[in-house]
Amino acid sequence: MVDPVEVEAVVKRYGTAVALAGVTLRVGRGEIFGLLGQNGAGKTTLVKILLGMVAPTAGTARLLGIPVGAPSARRAVGYLPEDHRLPEYHTAASLLDCYGGLQGMPRSWRRQRAAELIEMIGLGQAHRLKVRNFSKGMKQRLGLAQALLHRPDVLFLDEPTDGVDPIGRKQIRDLLLAERARGVTIFINSHLLGEVEQLCDRVAILRKGKVVRSGSVVELTHRQHTWLVGFDRPVPESSTWASAHLDPPDRDGISRVHLADEAALDLFLAEATGRGFAIRHLQKERGTLEDLYLECATVPHGPHVASSVRCG
Amino acid sequence: MIGWMRSFAALLHDTWLEFIDAKSLWLVLLTIAVLFGVALTIHGEPLAAGRTYLDLAARSLSADTNDLDPAEVSLHTITTRLDGSISWIQSAEPISLVMQPADGQPQDGPKTSWRVTLVRNTLPVVGKMADTNSIATRFGRVADGELWRVHAIRETTAPLAARLGSQRWEMVVNPGRDLMILWPHRMTLFGDALELTPPQGAPLGLEVFILQKLLATGLGGTALLLVSVVITASFVPTMIRKGTLELLLARPVHRWQLILGKFIAAILFVAGMLGLLVGATWVVTGIVSGLWAPGILLAVVSLLLFYGLLLSVSIFAGTLTRSAPAAMLIAVAYWAVLFVVGILHAQVVASHVREDLTGRPRPLTVADALRGRSEPRAPLEPQKRPFHRTAAGRIVEATYRVLPHSSDLDAMVDRQLMRGFSVGGRMRQVLESGEFSWLGGVGLTVAHATAFLVAACVIFGSRDP
Repeated sequence: MVDPVEVEAVVKRYGTAVALAGVTLRVGRGEIFGLLGQNGAGKTTLVKILLGMVAPTAGTARLLGIPVGAPSARRAVGYLPEDHRLPEYHTAASLLDCYGGLQGMPRSWRRQRAAELIEMIGLGQAHRLKVRNFSKGMKQRLGLAQALLHRPDVLFLDEPTDGVDPIGRKQIRDLLLAERARGVTIFINSHLLGEVEQLCDRVAILRKGKVVRSGSVVELTHRQHTWLVGFDRPVPESSTWASAHLDPPDRDGISRVHLADEAALDLFLAEATGRGFAIRHLQKERGTLEDLYLECATVPHGPHVASSVRCG
Repeated sequence: MIGWMRSFAALLHDTWLEFIDAKSLWLVLLTIAVLFGVALTIHGEPLAAGRTYLDLAARSLSADTNDLDPAEVSLHTITTRLDGSISWIQSAEPISLVMQPADGQPQDGPKTSWRVTLVRNTLPVVGKMADTNSIATRFGRVADGELWRVHAIRETTAPLAARLGSQRWEMVVNPGRDLMILWPHRMTLFGDALELTPPQGAPLGLEVFILQKLLATGLGGTALLLVSVVITASFVPTMIRKGTLELLLARPVHRWQLILGKFIAAILFVAGMLGLLVGATWVVTGIVSGLWAPGILLAVVSLLLFYGLLLSVSIFAGTLTRSAPAAMLIAVAYWAVLFVVGILHAQVVASHVREDLTGRPRPLTVADALRGRSEPRAPLEPQKRPFHRTAAGRIVEATYRVLPHSSDLDAMVDRQLMRGFSVGGRMRQVLESGEFSWLGGVGLTVAHATAFLVAACVIFGSRDP
């Protein structure tokens, strides 16, 4: 089966400026994929290429197996642009009706879906209100509704929770997880790394038009060689054994220990027990996406930089 | 195909909401409604003119007036058309064939019938006696207009009088088809408060012609066109602004469909409003005058063609600049250019005509005589620098040739109106021989509109958002 999103060595240049320098990636069906990167890293350009709004300078891209650019490639695709501006003269219902019509949805289905979504995003009370009177959060939720309207197979979301309060964010997360459960592929561009970490199955980090890291969230945040360990009583700081292996403990008395491999860990634990410390806590340490992102976004061309990474 | 129709219907719906969202639209519609309300207070009162038109009909029996054109024919040529007789109305009395008014005396008006005594004296040698049938068919026909229709006729010539070349008929004549158009009316506004016509009144057809022009293509049409251009000029810039455009481009439609959809939707809505405006003009003038000539309905076509042109200019400008004020200004500026070039071109034409007439004797025409002139006009002096020979005149002429001729769009309606409100014959021929070109009016307008629209689609289609 073809992957819903396929990008093959895509290059985009604006004059001499390079927006994308050969990006290759794939997103599988039912996957939530996060594309991270600083402003100007090329995230939006990549999405615009996939939606056929911008022509790539080189390389190929396909949506649901159809070359991008053809209107039919966008038939089963939903898009929530960043900083979107919904036409202000509409109400939520009339806007969804118009967008549904442009999407080619039959009238009865449009009506039914619009009513369903307006209720789902909590705009049922505001059915007479025009968009110009909406709050930012309401506009954002309506924006999400228009992307979900025609039950697309692929969703492109640029900052989906921008301007939404914490409860609204939770609702949106649940909505997206429900869509994923239906088999929808979701492609998220976001700065909110916490959100991405909670939602995404896989991420790629884009830097200056190149994919510098990609993989599953678990894989990428997993840290080799570091464990968190806690004992029944504090290890005296003066002990040379402790200072050789252990970082200073945190408030809960948990210390980080850096070791070459699991055999070394066994040796370390045996030695601790031998010294009379009973083990109360042991856990392999995971980094956060933020750590990884900061590392990738700021370190100039580290050893892990690849011009393109085959993802998935 | 179904998908296309759905997208188009959605664009129509979207444009409709955007259209009625504009407050200026309602303001202008309200103003126009007030204008029509005022027009409905117009009151037309026919003046007594029956005897005048009966006299005219009698006199026209003595000459061949079929191709009479008072603007060109001289008094001399008219005398050669006389058939050697003099006819006049000896007595005339209004009667009502259908019903008597309350006071028992029928009024002198455009719907009254008359009992008439017609006398015809034949000049010795040149004249011939007339037969009753020819009088019955010719009385009341001036040029090819029908002022009177003979209902009954009976010759009452006395035997002695016949020998002296005098004939007499008793007739009952009904108003003809064109009498109402020519009948002088006194028009007032606000129920007799404001006089619109000179004391001697003006022909009803002319009054209605002026009123229809004022309401449909003058005040009402200009206001509606201007506000439509101003409102719809922002449609495309709003659609293609950042953040809105992306929402549309993610749909499975071509970009040209978006532009064309907006264009067609705006045309349809403005057509509806123009239809209302012109239809209301027709109905209002029909109600106040009783004349229902449908020529003015053609104004919907001419106004819509002109609006379509301005709309495609504004769409082109809006696509190029992405700014609603710029699109609006450029469309209005284009309108102004057409207007100014049109005026300058009229000067070029006048300069050509003047040069053609220079040095030629100009005969005294009937029209001159009616204006009280008795001497033939002196030949024109040659112009020092005819406008059409200057560089500016040549530029104007060349520019005019390629620009749409809004004057021809106007003339398209005027010709139709005049057909409805003028008495035919030579007058109508003159009317139709005037400078008018379908190609310059409709042809160039459609060509320019198409070119601007195609250019907008090409620019929009090839640019990254």
